Amino acid sequence: MKAETTILEKRLGLYILALMASLVILNSCGGVPEKTTTVSNGEENVFSVEEVLEMVAKENDITRTLYTKAIVGQGKKQGMKFDEDWRKDEVEAGPLPALFLRGVATSIRKGPVPLGLYLGSDFPINNANKFEGKQAELFEQIKIDQKPQFFYEEEQKLHTAMFADMASAKACVTCHNDHKQTAKSDWKLGDVMGATTWQYPKDSLSYKATVDVLNAYAKGTVDIYVAYLDEISKFKESEKPMIGDKWPVEGNYLPTPEVFLDSVRKLSSYSTMKTLVASK
Amino acid sequence: MFKISPLRKRQVIGGGIGLLIGVLIFVFLTLDASKDYVSIGPMNSGHEEISCVTCHADAEGNLSQQIQSNLSYMVGARAHSADFGTKDVTSNNCLECHDRPNDRHPTYSFSEPRFKDAIKNIDATSCITCHSEHHGARVTISKVNYCYNCHQDLEVEEDPLDISHKQLIASEEWDTCIQCHDFHGNHTYEVPHKLKDTIPLKTIKDYFKGGADPFGSNKKYYGLSEPEWVKSLLNK
Repeated sequence: MKAETTILEKRLGLYILALMASLVILNSCGGVPEKTTTVSNGEENVFSVEEVLEMVAKENDITRTLYTKAIVGQGKKQGMKFDEDWRKDEVEAGPLPALFLRGVATSIRKGPVPLGLYLGSDFPINNANKFEGKQAELFEQIKIDQKPQFFYEEEQKLHTAMFADMASAKACVTCHNDHKQTAKSDWKLGDVMGATTWQYPKDSLSYKATVDVLNAYAKGTVDIYVAYLDEISKFKESEKPMIGDKWPVEGNYLPTPEVFLDSVRKLSSYSTMKTLVASK
Repeated sequence: MFKISPLRKRQVIGGGIGLLIGVLIFVFLTLDASKDYVSIGPMNSGHEEISCVTCHADAEGNLSQQIQSNLSYMVGARAHSADFGTKDVTSNNCLECHDRPNDRHPTYSFSEPRFKDAIKNIDATSCITCHSEHHGARVTISKVNYCYNCHQDLEVEEDPLDISHKQLIASEEWDTCIQCHDFHGNHTYEVPHKLKDTIPLKTIKDYFKGGADPFGSNKKYYGLSEPEWVKSLLNK
């Protein structure tokens, strides 16, 4: 009886030893590094998502107005063409402002910053871009006071902001009024033509994450502008504008992406910097 | 030293055979030539030549680390589980080869809140909703009437069709959309004006199953081949 107990004890000891050895081997490499949420110095969340989206929406307003007025508006006077089918091989034209924004949004999506950007309206050219549900409801308020609207999209778990998209240039009004598929042909300067919708997954951002958002937007601007210049390089029949440091207002010229972005930064820097350095 | 007790002979032989079979299975499964047996089904059209690692990248860490991390996760000692074996395949994997600036319906555009009801019916934010891999087909969605989810209010000014878009929508002829318009707009294709000249539904369905392309071979964009994809990664 005693001999049997000794064998059992020995076996149990062996099993425990094997288990311990397995655990040691298993743990010897450590686990797969986990993406921690520990904040290091300078990485504290200092901006609310609303503040950041307001900042980037402001930059978007300035960029779009610059593109619409200085490139599309002035470019048309020089004979440059802008078309919704600008990417088609047989069309030699640049992107219309709404498609410029879509290009920015696509570029942001391709990058690592989880920022969503969309453009919609209650009278869009393409009916598929018509607001529905919560967005349609909030857009009614935006049309009244032109103030941004914020909400948390429960199903998507995304913080969402909507900002008025104004008819800030004559080109916006004329193109939309004259478009074959327009649902509204009495747009006038200063009208709220639509709204941009922005989404971000977190309720607050660190200084670095905020700058990442602003940089993602700026990169998107450059990407779509470069795509436009690439299209121009493939023009066969249309006259190609000179690309350099001059703008269409001076003749058949287009600024380089660097010159374009520099102008955006000059126009938006004061407002953005004011928020970034505000005693946080 | 290797003296085997006659009473344990069968156990040792059994163990040896088991070990040998295990090694052989391991070698077989990891051979390139065996991928057809490892794969859960034949690759979709156009993907026949690509290797498993194009989509199934190794998960972070070695096997021991992955086991440890997931055991830790199970007992609540870490916040997130770790991928085991290979990383999850997402639409981003598809877009590494198929992303293009002129996509008429890019997946990202459906993330907007106004599509939330539509994507409950058809999750257009994910490639695999229509292009589930390992089916030896091109498009795997069973019905072709998906346009009704978003285009119920479509109005076409100066509609050139003999039976107008409005009439087609009113009579819920949603199968006819695809007979003229490919979803991603990737073909340079002259759209007919008469319904009788459109691509027959059967031809479309055959194309979805991997058959000839009825929209023609003049594509605006071609997905990257595996060497091109590798090159694109190296250039990043």
